[in-house]
Amino acid sequence: MGPVELLHMSVFSQSFSPCGRFLAAGNNYGEIAVFSLSAALSPDSTALNQKPVLTFTAHEGPVFSLLSTDCHLLSAGNGEISAWSWSELTKKNVKPLWTRRPNYKSSLEIPEINSMTINPRDNSLVAGGGDNNIHVMDLENGVFKTVLQGHSDYVHCVTVREREAEILSGGEDGAVRVWDSRTGQCVHCIEVYKYEVCARPQYGKWISCVTTDSDWMLCGGGPSLSLWHLRSLSPTSIFNLSGCQRQAAFQQDLILTVGEGAFVSHCLLGGEVKAQIPCTPQSLNTLQLNNNSTEHRVLTVGGSSDHIDVFTNLSYRAFSLRF
Amino acid sequence: MTSASEEADSSLTAQQKSLAAVTYRQQLHSYQGSGSCRHEVIRKRLLIDGDGAGDDRRINLLLKSFTKWCNSPGTPEEGFTQYQRMLGILAQCEFSMGKTLMVYDMNLREMENYEKIYSNIEQNIASAHEKIAECKKEIQRAKRIRKNRQEYDALAKVIQQHPDRHETLKQLEALDKELQQLSHIKENVDAKLELRKKQFHVLLSTIQELQQTLENDEKSDNDDNSQESPAENGE
Repeated sequence: MGPVELLHMSVFSQSFSPCGRFLAAGNNYGEIAVFSLSAALSPDSTALNQKPVLTFTAHEGPVFSLLSTDCHLLSAGNGEISAWSWSELTKKNVKPLWTRRPNYKSSLEIPEINSMTINPRDNSLVAGGGDNNIHVMDLENGVFKTVLQGHSDYVHCVTVREREAEILSGGEDGAVRVWDSRTGQCVHCIEVYKYEVCARPQYGKWISCVTTDSDWMLCGGGPSLSLWHLRSLSPTSIFNLSGCQRQAAFQQDLILTVGEGAFVSHCLLGGEVKAQIPCTPQSLNTLQLNNNSTEHRVLTVGGSSDHIDVFTNLSYRAFSLRF
Repeated sequence: MTSASEEADSSLTAQQKSLAAVTYRQQLHSYQGSGSCRHEVIRKRLLIDGDGAGDDRRINLLLKSFTKWCNSPGTPEEGFTQYQRMLGILAQCEFSMGKTLMVYDMNLREMENYEKIYSNIEQNIASAHEKIAECKKEIQRAKRIRKNRQEYDALAKVIQQHPDRHETLKQLEALDKELQQLSHIKENVDAKLELRKKQFHVLLSTIQELQQTLENDEKSDNDDNSQESPAENGE
């Protein structure tokens, strides 16, 4: 990988292994790199430990979404979903377990898959992508059982609201749709750009990040990042961040969010931005918290750079992993 | 004292030579045995009193002077002074042994003291660890509480935007009352209308009956008149 390729690399997705000791990151060249967190975080780690232990080409197009189940790593690129076994990856064996493709209507162009999530209630994989639909696949037998239709433009992000068995999706058409996972019907449709408090017409109406905490939902993108109360479907707090946010997460009493701008923003639920921690990449695409391991509880962010910043303490950047 | 001057005069090499000689003699006396024991003893003795300026030399001096004193043919005064000298050296040896014993005791007590301090510090470390764990739990709890409070505040903000429930209820009640009044008035007006309609109906039907009766009367009058005139003409 020459220096020019490294300069133009963007990290689009990350996922921690179920044991919490490895991090997989996918970039725009279709490669997935596996980093060893235990080596990088040990007291006698060197610069070599911050390089991946394994890099392989997973897809032809960019790897937009990575997801870990109990023993598999699922990656999605240009319209197909591949599964890799974590135990095989740690042994440097890069043969995928399976590769499946949802049923697309047109066979001419293959739409990309932008986001995947697992619905733990019925052990299914929810994937949303470029064909404006959300495909639900049963993980046990690989059958694509439901297609949720309703968006009029491509789907940016999907998330699952566990307590009520609902799937939330945000799309380019500016709507956040709430689907019932059992019947496949769209229960609510929130058009965020129509609310004056959060609309930012200068950026557009697209929603690029949706995340939920069962009662509350964060969504943002073109409109400002806003916190919504799902039962009353009303926006309660607006976060005054300058760029468009690409990923947000609830962490104890804080909200961590990344997007345009070389920093991670810490916000309180009331709407105030508590801190903005600077990072290496100029603009960030993905943010992940390692909840799978108690000794390697880190936050990692990646974006338009070949560096992935690792935060051992949320308040400052500890070091960077490099592709 | 002669022993002191002897010590002062002798050089290091002489002391070492005497020590080596003494050691060799000791070996011949005590150990008839193997080579390794000899090395051990040599090592130990060199470690304890390598330079020969201490108690070891004094004891050997005492032994030497004792044997000299036993075998000396000199005058009783000389013998007595020699005897006194030996007592002095013995006292010195006892004194130094007593000192060493006390130092040994002191070391033991110091060791105990250190053991105590060590276990004390260990306990403190353990309790500090516990306190840290407690505090961490407290922080988690506080964070949860803070999050709940913030959610509550956010919801309260939204709720405040909507009007008060009592006001709305009062408005609803007032509207209800108005509605009732209006419907009451409507009923009254309807009843009046009905009554007037009926009255007018009665009036009109009476008028029509009267008209009819009048017409009938006129007709019968005409008939009567036409019937009467031919009858009158005929008579």
